[in-house]
Amino acid sequence: MKPEIEVRNLNFYYTGNIHVLKNINMTVYKNRVTALIGPSGCGKTTLLRCFNRMHDLYAGNKYEGEIIFQGRNILSKETDLIELRSKIGMVFQKPTPFPMSIFENIAYGLKLKGIKNKSELKDRVETALKDAALWDEVKDKLYSSAFGLSGGQQQRLCIARALAVEPEIILFDEPTSALDPISTAKIEELIVSLKERITIIIVTHNMQQAARISNWTGFMMLGELIEYDRTEKIFTVPSNKLTEEYVTGRFG
Amino acid sequence: MKRRKIVSSIALFISCLTALWGIFWLFFIIFDVLRHGISAINFDLFFKDPAPPGQPGGGLRNAFVGHILITLCATLIGVPIGILGGTFLAEYGRKYKISKFISNLADIMVSIPAIIVGAFIYSVIVKPLGHFSGWAGGVALGIIMIPTVLRTTENMLSLIPWTLREAAFALGAPYYKVIIQIVYRGASTGILTGVILAIARVTGEAAPLLFTAFNNAFFSINMNEPMASLTVTIFQYAMGPYEEWHTQAWGASFMITVFILFTTILGRILIRRRYKF
Amino acid sequence: MSKISKSKIKDFMFLILTALTAFSIILLVSGIFLVLLKESLPAINKFGFKGFVFSTEWDPVREIFGAAPALIGTLITASLALLLAVPVSIGIAIFITEIAPPFLKTPVGTAIELLAAIPSIIYGMWGLFTLAPIMSKYIEPFFQSTIGKIPIVGKIFEGTPLGVDLFTASVILSIMIIPFTASIARDSFNLTPSVLKESAYAIGATKWEVVKDIVLPYSKIGVLGGVGLSLGRALGETMAVAFVLGNLNQIPDSLLDAAATVTVKLANEFTEADKDIYLSALYYLALLLFVMSFAILALAKTFIVKAERR
Repeated sequence: MKPEIEVRNLNFYYTGNIHVLKNINMTVYKNRVTALIGPSGCGKTTLLRCFNRMHDLYAGNKYEGEIIFQGRNILSKETDLIELRSKIGMVFQKPTPFPMSIFENIAYGLKLKGIKNKSELKDRVETALKDAALWDEVKDKLYSSAFGLSGGQQQRLCIARALAVEPEIILFDEPTSALDPISTAKIEELIVSLKERITIIIVTHNMQQAARISNWTGFMMLGELIEYDRTEKIFTVPSNKLTEEYVTGRFG
Repeated sequence: MKRRKIVSSIALFISCLTALWGIFWLFFIIFDVLRHGISAINFDLFFKDPAPPGQPGGGLRNAFVGHILITLCATLIGVPIGILGGTFLAEYGRKYKISKFISNLADIMVSIPAIIVGAFIYSVIVKPLGHFSGWAGGVALGIIMIPTVLRTTENMLSLIPWTLREAAFALGAPYYKVIIQIVYRGASTGILTGVILAIARVTGEAAPLLFTAFNNAFFSINMNEPMASLTVTIFQYAMGPYEEWHTQAWGASFMITVFILFTTILGRILIRRRYKF
Repeated sequence: MSKISKSKIKDFMFLILTALTAFSIILLVSGIFLVLLKESLPAINKFGFKGFVFSTEWDPVREIFGAAPALIGTLITASLALLLAVPVSIGIAIFITEIAPPFLKTPVGTAIELLAAIPSIIYGMWGLFTLAPIMSKYIEPFFQSTIGKIPIVGKIFEGTPLGVDLFTASVILSIMIIPFTASIARDSFNLTPSVLKESAYAIGATKWEVVKDIVLPYSKIGVLGGVGLSLGRALGETMAVAFVLGNLNQIPDSLLDAAATVTVKLANEFTEADKDIYLSALYYLALLLFVMSFAILALAKTFIVKAERR
């Protein structure tokens, strides 16, 4: 089991010095699904967005500490955000298809990477759609607008889009919270199958989901990482009282 | 990767330049008007009437007074109609489709060529009366004010939370009292700002006055006669052959620009303070 | 009981009062159209539509009137102004929404909007006394010695650079309409959901790529609406153009020619029209301008509404 990301003494402040992540330490393992759970407002999404420095898009946010990825601290000023984000992809809470055709949505990231060859683009779009288990549903309408797809299909399109650029890690921010149970099941299946190739970090408010698909689980509360361990342990014999109360449904 | 970043930086740099370009013109125009205008400002400009063409001296007292009278008349027409109309759209008429239509129509009317309104008033007021008049000019400007005031009123009233009205209804107040005593009070700063901005806008209008109030080389406070205004005078003087006229036109431009910039900025400060945009 | 009915009556009266004032907008717009139509009837009957719109003659003495030069002048100044203003406005909107640090957003936005507050008569005055000499001394000769040397295309810069011409008028118009396009483009850009932008950043797009591939396509309807609004404004602008265009009834061959627009013709000749048919012909011009700008503004408005609804 190889470590992929090392988080050391991470603190994060929103504009106005609001301290939202407090001294986080954790190791994310390669080719594993790591889930972050906790009551809303606990900072799990904030932590997730540190991994691809999404907070940098808005002024006034501040990081302290280190996140080591591929031997380098990605929080340092020298980090090339564009390169970082093409290695660490992200899928959002609500599906976010771009205002383009289905094909273009996936080819977009590839074109950014400099792939211009038409047949190569086509192959890689097809592969990405197959990997995201969407190919059979869309192969006949690749060039129609992505807005025409159902919510579940749009979300898988976004996963395909993230996969196409071949990232090392994909961050999922409550990817199924806006979807129906059937689409949710498909996406969960997909996430489990993807860990063969990549590392996955997923934020979820749904404990059963974390238990079903993750190998490691972090429980957060009020900006602190209360407990981080193997999923079986967190859900059966947690060492912290708060974790136990949360996973047994006594609050949250 | 490197190329993409360079392209990105160049594009963003160009976009910064365009912002500079816009600001450059703003300052160029303002400074130019200030530079030429300030030397034309003197006692005579405000307190003397025009000297005969080509002769030195004289001022624009007639145009200042005429301008104020016409604008006042426009305000008395445009503001009540605009506020009441906006009230209908945001309150009683809220649920009807026609209100949305009127509101969109008003938006279009804001941008309708001002000179068209002048031609309209020429036909309905100037021709029947047989002469140009200050009233005609006031009505023309008033018509231009209506849609602006109406739209801001509508927007400002819509910002008042519905629960506030419900709370007043719960006390048994009829709708008109709720509007006048509760909703207007809550939206007063916003509506006032709308009125100020509308006045600022019509102060600078010349085109609708050309064939309504026309011009008058003499001092007059009779709204039933042709009436001088600063803007029409600027047009006439700037296009005229005399150096004196040009200087006075700059002076008038200076006063109008300062007034409009002042009121516009005041309006923005008021609204920002109230609504914290 | 009587108190209740009394307040009901008052309420109804207030309702009627507000409704009447609101409907006055419809009355005004249709009134303007009908009055213009009525006043132009003599000219419509005499010259017809084609005979007026395509005729180049404008001779008050012989009572022959044609709108072609004024219409062409209007279209040239408006479209050239648009061509100059739209890229700049979009750049400004990008700057304000995507690039400027927070402490610059408001001042820059306000400065641009103040450009819209400056009245057109001031633009005209400044255009005549300041910009026109600069145009004739530096800018127009520069264009003549560069683009003017290219065959065919160069023709548009032929002639003596006097500064009182289509080119100067278009430049002034373009400055005037920048704030309208820019502010609507800015509002449309702001409607782009930030999560959509984030997901483009999340696959490693640069800022420019996000703007070009996500923000612009997403907001194109709104931006188009803003462009339409500016076009409507440019068509109807009077005073700024009246100072620097001359009022020359001819179809221009070059951007350095003096010309006329519908508005300039109205402003200069309306009070001089001594014959009924002369005045009627001017009203006909006004009617054409009204219909044209109304149609464009209405189209622009539907675009803007559509963009906001998404």
